[in-house]
Amino acid sequence: MREDGGREYLTLLFDTQNLFVRALKKLVRNPILIFFSLFQPIIFLVLFTQLFHSFNLLPGFPPGISYLQFAAAGILLQNAFSSALQAGTSIVEDLNYGFLQKMLVTQVQRPAILLGRLSSDAFRVIVQSIIILALAYVLGFSVATGLPGMIVMLFIIAFFGLAWSGISLALGMRTRSSETVFAIGGFLTFPLLFMSTALVPVSFMPKWMQYVSDVNPISYAVNAVRALSLGVSYDPNLTRTVVEAIGVIALIAVITMSATLYLFRKVVS
Amino acid sequence: MKLTEVINVKDLTLTYADGTKAVQGISFSVNEGEFFGFLGPNGAGKSTTIKVLTTLLHKTAGEASVAGLDIEKDAREIRKVIGVQSQETSLDPELTGRENMILEGHLQQMRGKELEDRVDSLLSVVGLKDAADKRAGRYSGGMKKRLDLATVLVHKPKIMFLDEPTTGLDPQSRAGVWDYLEELNKKEGITIFLTTQYLEEADRLCQRLCIVDGGKIVAQGTPAELKAEIGADAITITMKDLQGKSDDSVRTKARQIIQKLQNVSDIVDSGDGLTIYARDGGYFIPDLVRAFDKTDIKLVSINLSTPTLDDVFLRHTGKRIRVEELQKQVPSMFARGRR
Repeated sequence: MREDGGREYLTLLFDTQNLFVRALKKLVRNPILIFFSLFQPIIFLVLFTQLFHSFNLLPGFPPGISYLQFAAAGILLQNAFSSALQAGTSIVEDLNYGFLQKMLVTQVQRPAILLGRLSSDAFRVIVQSIIILALAYVLGFSVATGLPGMIVMLFIIAFFGLAWSGISLALGMRTRSSETVFAIGGFLTFPLLFMSTALVPVSFMPKWMQYVSDVNPISYAVNAVRALSLGVSYDPNLTRTVVEAIGVIALIAVITMSATLYLFRKVVS
Repeated sequence: MKLTEVINVKDLTLTYADGTKAVQGISFSVNEGEFFGFLGPNGAGKSTTIKVLTTLLHKTAGEASVAGLDIEKDAREIRKVIGVQSQETSLDPELTGRENMILEGHLQQMRGKELEDRVDSLLSVVGLKDAADKRAGRYSGGMKKRLDLATVLVHKPKIMFLDEPTTGLDPQSRAGVWDYLEELNKKEGITIFLTTQYLEEADRLCQRLCIVDGGKIVAQGTPAELKAEIGADAITITMKDLQGKSDDSVRTKARQIIQKLQNVSDIVDSGDGLTIYARDGGYFIPDLVRAFDKTDIKLVSINLSTPTLDDVFLRHTGKRIRVEELQKQVPSMFARGRR
């Protein structure tokens, strides 16, 4: 088969597509899962931003914008982050139900098992983000950079989600326990979220937290998405902010995907 | 008839990372079209052997080939021609029966009309046509097993590996699976390698079998050969004299009569009668009856039992196969919630 590289590549695509479709079918049949993932960001969007709507009166808050407009970027990334951290539960199920083993005795191209999974996770994050964006728009949110900016936003959000699904998948393969994956996901989400620029400007934080926020990957992604929504008037170095964010996410992705691949090889070998 | 070996295993050994010696130097071969079995208790190394032969685990030492292909070098080619049903039913509970089968077909590089037709015909063969578009998670245990078996057959495998295919099934479903497996083997000529801990299953289905215990093969042959090794059938009789007495004197007299008969290897007291061990019990009984014909002792009952595979197991390992009902693994809370 090795001499027939093109064909090999095609079967990989075919396998990935089939497993992507399988994952989506499962998701659609569990609307409750999407509801639970969306519940929290929607509460933040509708209630949290109202509760703190006077934040924009505080000194240090970017002038002329509402708190909703500011916090939407953080809420979008929070959603991507917590959804991504659930990704591993699916592989736990496949491992424990023997479905992974069943796939492994077929001719399926091994990488397709991961690629199908990851692509469906990314797709899910994009769909959820569009729902949140639409709701935010109704509440008065707008994107200064227009449709192209919105596409870049969605790309950053999905890529950010992907990078973290790697962690979740690796955890799932290692622990074989959905509860552990859920617990660690929940454990990570809020500390990382609060110690980032997701919900407040960095100047609001005590000094020590500012240091944490400066190295917190969520801050990078949030800053880029926020800059895209507010335009160059808010962030004159818009392009740099975006490129930086993509660089940081790529770095995380390399690390998490290496761990995922290493564990996956151990499982499939 | 020329026999081709489709599975050949020589001195196969598998030691797990934790040091468990699951398979310890086993050798056997399976011919094309044969129904071959591994009979043994839990932990005998049956599943491990299947996992090595189906390219899921790397062997520690020894040689093995499937369909003439080396299990290490040609793993991918082997996967094209084998079908594997693992011990735990492995279906996607959220996909329908049909979707489970189509997905399996896709993963085996089948598509289009060919695949649809194949799936349709298999669904009716296993009697799931009406339930085909319901989610597999809502099937009963027996239906799940049948669907699982059908998914394994989608790509028309030449060799099937079945790891305890009837464990956990009720007797009726079990008999159904047996009939179907026999049909597959006879009509479609599929070679079947089956593991089981049920004696009657091995006895009924397997043309040849290995009895395994503690990672080793302790005996192999046809069920009849293995049982013949025991050498004798057991015939248990009870008797009375003409006065209706059945005391020791009657027994002693009966012993004297039986001892004169051919093929008797042993006579022991059992309850209120005698147990005679004799070769070819079926042929021996008429002689026995005739011998008592002219005496004043009447035979009240005659009970013939041929040796079972359990006797064979007992003889080779010094213990009986004990079938423990497998504890079903309870899926985790979240896994269960997702349906």
